[in-house]
Amino acid sequence: MNRTVYVAALHEKGHFMQETFETISFAQELDKGKIVLLVLADEESVTTLSRQLFLETGLDTIGLKGNFLKGYSAEAYIKTLSSFFRDKEPACVCIPHTSQGADFAPQLSVALQACCITAVEAVGNGAFTRTMFGGKFKVEIRPTKQASVLTVLPGTWNPCSHGNIVQGELTITDVPDESVSTRTHGIRESSHKNAALSDSEVVVSAGRGVGKQENIRILRDLCSLFPKSALGSTRAVCDLGWLDYTHQIGVTGNKVSPRLYIACGISGAAQHVAGMKDSRLIIAVNTDIDASIFRVAHYGVVEDLARFIPLLIEAYIKRNRE
Amino acid sequence: MRILVCVKQVCDSADTLSVNNAGAWVEHAPKSVFRINRFDEYAIEEGLRITERHSGSVLDIVSIGPQRVQAGIRRALGMGAHHGIHILKGEDTYVTPLERAFLISEAARSRHYDLVLTGVMAEDDMEGQVGGLTAAMLAYACATNVIYEETVPDRGEITVEREIEGGSRECITLKLPAVLTIQSGINIPRYPVLSHMLKSRTAALEQISAGMLGPSRPGQVIEKISPSPPAGIGELIEGSPYEKAEKLLEILHRHSLV
Ligand SMILES: Cc1cc2nc3c(=O)[nH]c(=O)nc-3n(C[C@H](O)[C@H](O)[C@H](O)COP(=O)(O)OP(=O)(O)OC[C@H]3O[C@@H](n4cnc5c(N)ncnc54)[C@H](O)[C@@H]3O)c2cc1C
Ligand SMILES: Nc1ncnc2c1ncn2[C@@H]1O[C@H](COP(=O)(O)O)[C@@H](O)[C@H]1O
Repeated sequence: MNRTVYVAALHEKGHFMQETFETISFAQELDKGKIVLLVLADEESVTTLSRQLFLETGLDTIGLKGNFLKGYSAEAYIKTLSSFFRDKEPACVCIPHTSQGADFAPQLSVALQACCITAVEAVGNGAFTRTMFGGKFKVEIRPTKQASVLTVLPGTWNPCSHGNIVQGELTITDVPDESVSTRTHGIRESSHKNAALSDSEVVVSAGRGVGKQENIRILRDLCSLFPKSALGSTRAVCDLGWLDYTHQIGVTGNKVSPRLYIACGISGAAQHVAGMKDSRLIIAVNTDIDASIFRVAHYGVVEDLARFIPLLIEAYIKRNRE
Repeated sequence: MRILVCVKQVCDSADTLSVNNAGAWVEHAPKSVFRINRFDEYAIEEGLRITERHSGSVLDIVSIGPQRVQAGIRRALGMGAHHGIHILKGEDTYVTPLERAFLISEAARSRHYDLVLTGVMAEDDMEGQVGGLTAAMLAYACATNVIYEETVPDRGEITVEREIEGGSRECITLKLPAVLTIQSGINIPRYPVLSHMLKSRTAALEQISAGMLGPSRPGQVIEKISPSPPAGIGELIEGSPYEKAEKLLEILHRHSLV
């Protein structure tokens, strides 16, 4: 018997996240049994949201209605899903690997006595592939439990195509009242937004490979060769205090898509790449030929940046003089 | 406050790793250098700050791994932690997050911690799971990606800000006991103090063998590990450093960027 694959359809401010549709594509690729989408929301929005998703995908959709589901909290989500799954035997529960999904997935897996695999990038033969060690190794993991909770790496699957054939049905179910002790106080907008960075045509970006704060100057010099340019960085560089957080690019920083992105001493962690992968031309300078950044770069230079960048600037000046 | 900080020892650079003979996990070159997972340093520092704010607090460290992980525990003691627990688990195999969380929660259960802190993720396996799994096993509240915290022990509560997409922050209040996974940048981790370091060198660590805590239930196995395929879409620029610079300028010129 084929068991059901469930997708937790995450939403925010009345909209489903793009990652929800990517996760549905992932679930479709699993090719197991039926797919059921779960929408957790309060009385006010559950019907609208569930109907919207149902009409967009044509897949079975269950709205789980609970008054404690106003806004997100891990505790409320886990309590709701545990009670929903009590009399079911899911094959997989697929969850977008966002700040919400990655927050509750491991806890949910314990409640379901399932295994948990995070940031899945590929599937095949019942095993799930993810990367480890900064993207250097690809690891295929096979669950040895009946059920799996999987989080799906954003940007890996295309959002599912809109289903014009309605195959499934739409149900709204009341979730029995749960006592939830977590209190949510809303969201504080980021204070690290940097318009100059997102508007720039050229971004020169510094990673830990810069080595020391003084070397940031070399990148500033490179930056100043281009009009409409700005200095970006990885989170690591901000954590070290070499630049302030307004320079940070990535999933928890600024998102940029300039005409040119020069990544200097950056390993290419998924959380950084999420903020710059849409750049038109990506050039990476790194001493390590196996660095993941070379997998997203259009051109790569394997060199010590502290030696290479000054050389590049020198060659530029010479070229302009000629 | 009774606090436990989970510390993983990781290999300093993935450059010294290769796939082991069984093709099931990695193997370290003999020269490999090990250090504390960077995210865990922020967790240790935050734990120390809480103990300093609330007198009478204690801070324990737990680390799972072979004998060598004791160096990480001792470094944490050098930073100011009070007591170290080493859960001994053999060398060259992958220990799943489920097994690790099981071991931590079994070791922690009878010690009744108010707070368990972990890093947001380990730099090596990057799973970001052990915190959440441990919380569920201990039936503790949990918040991940914590970038700010304010403990109110008298009320049995902790208010935290979780970092979410774009660097925005979700503010929530949890009931203690709780597990927090600590995000980098929440503080600036201190260096070990020499006097503590000297003391920690001879301090007795508590050692528990993993087998003592119960049977191993991995939940999943690594079927295959292989180096990621080399660069995909891109082109490596070859030549002497100066030639590379010239070629790069030529490319920028072609794209009308210089
Ligand atoms: C929830 C979460 C959110 C995150 N959000 C973000 C985010 O928004 N943005 C972000 O950037 N990160 C983010 N991170 C952190 C991310 O996982 C990485 O830790 C970080 O991006 C690594 O930064 P890095 O590349 O500068 O450093 P490292 O990974 O240490 O890489 C340094 C690189 O420099 C190279 N190098 C060393 N010396 C030289 C030299 N002399 N010349 C040239 N190259 C050299 C090395 O080969 C290496 O590849 C987040 C992590 C988590 C868990
Ligand atoms: N072997 C270990 N020993 C102690 N703590 C660990 C271990 N593995 C993971 N942790 C903790 O769990 C966090 C997340 O790890 P992971 O789930 O492996 O990404 C780490 O930052 C550590 O705080």
